[in-house]
Amino acid sequence: MSDSAGVIVCRDVTKTYKNGSLEVQALRGVSFTIAAGEYVAIMGPSGSGKSTMMNLLGCLDRPTSGTYLLDGIDVGTLDDNALAAIRLRKLGFVFQGFNLLARTSALKNVALPLFYAGVPGPKRLAEAERRLTEVGLGDRAEHKPNELSGGQQQRVAIARALVNDPAVLLADEPTGNLDSQTSEEIMTLFARVNAGGRTIIMVTHDLEVARNAKRIIRMKDGVIVADEATLAVY
Amino acid sequence: MIGQIGQFFSEAFAVLYGNRIRSLLTILGLIIGVAAVIAIQILGHGMSGAVGGILGSLNDKSFFLFPNARQSDVTKSFIKIRDIEAVKLAVPNILSAVPAGSVQRRISVGHAHARLALSADSDVTFAAVPLIYGRNISKDDVATSAHVAVINDNAYHRLFPAGGDPTGTSIRVAERRFVVIGVQGKPTQGIIPVSFGGDVLIPYTTYEHEYLRSRPLFAARFVVADATRMADTESAVLDYFRKSKGGRVDYQTFDRKSFATSVDGIFGVLTLIVALIGAISLLVAGIGIMNIMLVSVTERTREIGVRKAIGATNFQVLAQFFVEALLLSLIGCGIGLAIGLTAGWAVNRFALVAISGIVAPIPWLQSVAIAVGFATLVTLLFGTYPAFRASRLDPIEALRYE
Repeated sequence: MSDSAGVIVCRDVTKTYKNGSLEVQALRGVSFTIAAGEYVAIMGPSGSGKSTMMNLLGCLDRPTSGTYLLDGIDVGTLDDNALAAIRLRKLGFVFQGFNLLARTSALKNVALPLFYAGVPGPKRLAEAERRLTEVGLGDRAEHKPNELSGGQQQRVAIARALVNDPAVLLADEPTGNLDSQTSEEIMTLFARVNAGGRTIIMVTHDLEVARNAKRIIRMKDGVIVADEATLAVY
Repeated sequence: MIGQIGQFFSEAFAVLYGNRIRSLLTILGLIIGVAAVIAIQILGHGMSGAVGGILGSLNDKSFFLFPNARQSDVTKSFIKIRDIEAVKLAVPNILSAVPAGSVQRRISVGHAHARLALSADSDVTFAAVPLIYGRNISKDDVATSAHVAVINDNAYHRLFPAGGDPTGTSIRVAERRFVVIGVQGKPTQGIIPVSFGGDVLIPYTTYEHEYLRSRPLFAARFVVADATRMADTESAVLDYFRKSKGGRVDYQTFDRKSFATSVDGIFGVLTLIVALIGAISLLVAGIGIMNIMLVSVTERTREIGVRKAIGATNFQVLAQFFVEALLLSLIGCGIGLAIGLTAGWAVNRFALVAISGIVAPIPWLQSVAIAVGFATLVTLLFGTYPAFRASRLDPIEALRYE
């Protein structure tokens, strides 16, 4: 496939962190393309650069050199506000620790991105409720995060990530805090979301989890060492 | 955007309510500071109202004489009726000398009644207020100890709520009846429309007969013919009294000019103190709020990271924390305003009014303006930095924060 067809296009991306006089090269030239609708797992040991990759893909940071195009937009040239807008409209985040706002109902957690997008109140809540129902938590809308199980919290987080209809769903160890059965439920949900046409990029160190993706990018020492389609074992 | 502001406020309220004990402790300084400033401000208003009322009804040809309080036996210096009769003859430039002070009586006309102050006056009135109806006390009234009365604006409105010319009407003072001969208009000077020491003026001869009998006076009121010789007349009167009492007593006088000067001095100091209290409480309360907001930002670093990852702009994060500080300040100043108004009103009502008989209007607008001003200033000075710090947090670092 050509570069322009990819929802995510990285060309020779490097990232160098400066800590005083010490320079750490976290990414040493990474190039890949992810097409719309793909389901990709990024794997690698700690220090491989996968977290840095995730931060760059998530527009939380800018590459030191190289180009990163998200949905055709060159992220490296954008200012903080424009990056925030990209995160709001084009990306949905799912974290290992769920990261829901405590003391805030599931419904309002899901509605939060809509608030930042300036959607008016009633429409916001209706949309959030629809998303919650999609992840099977329509009856838990008014529950606070501490009244929900880990799996339920992660599903609320997924609903929140999808509520602005992002181009890409980014997941950082989404099952890291969950038991195996709940992990499987979440992976089933991811498969369903991907089947609906949504691009998913997931960072994990767990091969079992990574196998749920259709493609695995392996990283080590800041470079890609393998990029291959997953052999369907299920 | 309007909807967003509302949402910021409701979210901020939820956060503050969730931490309500901490929120309350945070704004305690602000509550106390604002309450103190507003109460003192109302008190100052009430006092200047009382003084303004006194000054407003005292013309520049009048002065008072009273015993100096700093002497061993003040009772020896009490002024007798015959003393003021004698001084009129002995000292030139005196047109009138009458007992000062007043008595409180329940006065009624038909169904209307009020508790008002009666004072003595002569045919040469000390009042600075022109009449709107009738006439002043005449020589004849004085000579015959007539039961006639000139009422002031306050008495007029309370006894004759229907208005109209009341001259010739009888008013009942206990078992006595007085005929209204004149009505004073609103004072043109002074803030409060009252006469010094009296709502109802009666001839001093009548006053002596009815209310003093042979009891000594504490103070006397003089009217001079030539206001430019006021100071000379005052010292002549002082001399006369010292000599007549054998030099063992001391007196003092005051007139409009010297009174106004000393009152201005007192209020200058009071204003300075209020301003100082305001500044200090503002500083202390503001530091408290900034401290808690900084703690709150640190505690919620991860939350800030999440919000930014979700797509909140720096400005939206800034607005969230700024609104929280603003809401804290507004609530603190609002409670302070309520307490200050209540305290100021109560002190005015039960202390100042009891002393002076003057009800000063509460300066609502000024009080609300002070409270809102404080809230805005505290928020801008001390809420901006924590909010700015929150908005500048790096999302990656913030998300990693445990």
